[in-house]
Amino acid sequence: MNVIEIKNLTKFYGKARGIKDVSFNVEEGEIFGFIGPNGAGKSTTIRTLLSLIYPTSGSATIFGKDCIKFSPEIKKEIGYLPSEVFYYDNMKVMDLLNYSASFYKKDCTQRIQELAKRLNLDLTKKIDDLSLGNKKKVGIVQGLLHSPKLIILDEPTSGLDPLMQQIFFDLLEEENKKGATILFSSHILSEVQRLCDRVAIIKDGQIIKVEKISTLQENTYKKFKIQCASKVDKKHFDMVGVNDLEENDNVISFIFKGDINTIMKKIAEIEITNLWVVEPDLEEIFMHYYEKEE
Amino acid sequence: MNVFLREMKAHRKSLIFWSIGIVFMIAGGMGKYVGMSMAGSEQTMNDLMNSMPRAMKAIFGVGTLDLSKVSGFYGVLFLYLVLMGAIHACMMGANIISKEERDKTSEFLLVKPISRKTIISSKLMATLANIIIFNLVTLASSFIFVNQYGKGEKMTEDIVILMMGLFLLQLIFMSIGTAIAAISKKPTKAIGLSTGILMISFLLSIAIDMNSKIEPLKYFTPFKYFEAKNLMYGGGLEPVFVILSVGIITVLSIATYYFYQQRDMNV
Repeated sequence: MNVIEIKNLTKFYGKARGIKDVSFNVEEGEIFGFIGPNGAGKSTTIRTLLSLIYPTSGSATIFGKDCIKFSPEIKKEIGYLPSEVFYYDNMKVMDLLNYSASFYKKDCTQRIQELAKRLNLDLTKKIDDLSLGNKKKVGIVQGLLHSPKLIILDEPTSGLDPLMQQIFFDLLEEENKKGATILFSSHILSEVQRLCDRVAIIKDGQIIKVEKISTLQENTYKKFKIQCASKVDKKHFDMVGVNDLEENDNVISFIFKGDINTIMKKIAEIEITNLWVVEPDLEEIFMHYYEKEE
Repeated sequence: MNVFLREMKAHRKSLIFWSIGIVFMIAGGMGKYVGMSMAGSEQTMNDLMNSMPRAMKAIFGVGTLDLSKVSGFYGVLFLYLVLMGAIHACMMGANIISKEERDKTSEFLLVKPISRKTIISSKLMATLANIIIFNLVTLASSFIFVNQYGKGEKMTEDIVILMMGLFLLQLIFMSIGTAIAAISKKPTKAIGLSTGILMISFLLSIAIDMNSKIEPLKYFTPFKYFEAKNLMYGGGLEPVFVILSVGIITVLSIATYYFYQQRDMNV
């Protein structure tokens, strides 16, 4: 069953493009990644799903119901964490969470305590006194306190330190095991790769591809930077899967997609003094792979 | 209900300050009356006022009222109470709708299982409750201070009718505020725009007092609908203005609901 079905969703802000003809489905029980560079239309899509804004054309259903017509009903089972969290400043954390809980017709007190403990969040503090990371934690608790069936996350990891990110991912995986479906938007490929089953890639307001994460993982993208002992002809690395090949003095750099063993053998053939292998950012991948496939 | 209670709490402090303001305004104003109407000087106040040019009288809101009587004096004071009530209602109406977008809390409230219609209803109820309290505080302090300084002149009925007029004006300006906030795509501008309209209609009402040629324009400024000099001494509320007020309030309230449900939120 599809929890979210998006059909030809289009949103223009006046003449400015928001999203164009976005279509994809999120199945029940999966963690679905929604990935694209900043400004690609991730937030626009999510805000349309939540009927904060209305589509220019196209439609979307959540739990099989139209996301605008049945908006209040659908939202009983949605937990949402926006990319930037803003709350009523003169409230205490506990007051805000109770206010949030008061919209759902169930007792959430215990869940609030549990989540706050896991995330190490002080409930007695005033919201204005919280750091960005702590505000984000309030957002996480607020999004999960009613044990929603669908969790929508818009760039949720910004502002969280690595330790908290770990706890947060654990929490999401637990919720997922309990049956929650998750839509996870991000511009960081590695966190989507870690968590998600499938992923939709959006660029300039349009979906480029919906792929299984396993497929994406077969095509691991790595950025190599090799410092050589002596001058090496860059043609040495001219092979299938290598892109954006550059040579600067004795430093050769490129992005590689494919079996990592083949490239390691190639590197072993030459004398090197240093080697960096890093995750290329999304922009680079798009630039060298997806654009060519278009 | 939770949104209503939240709003009541959020506006509690502001309501207390406004209430203190009204009490001081009425106490201070009526206190002045005692000072001016000391034995033997009853006529001097009216003489002074009569010697003023019409424009000056219009600015002070004196007009035809007899300042030697407590009712006349209170009638002048009423203009300023109306202005306060209008500003309060207008600002609160615009603020309560627009602040979710201004403070970016709309991404919190509007993803809750609650319709935009219910949000508007709760917020309108909270504003209504606030202006009723404002009105009752004005009513109570008017009774108390007019009786205290009134030297026996009774004007209970007049005060009640004036408060009814004040209430209608509060409702008009509240709905101006909410409608502008609901229609406006820039939430930060809603309060400025609605208080701007308030000031223009207030200035228009003074202009009409100064120049009787533009008298027909009185239908365009709510400040001319319920004036003390017409309401008191058995005058009562004029049906044409009551109907006009109810019409304006209805149209603007419908506009508030309609546009808030139609438009994209600023997030």
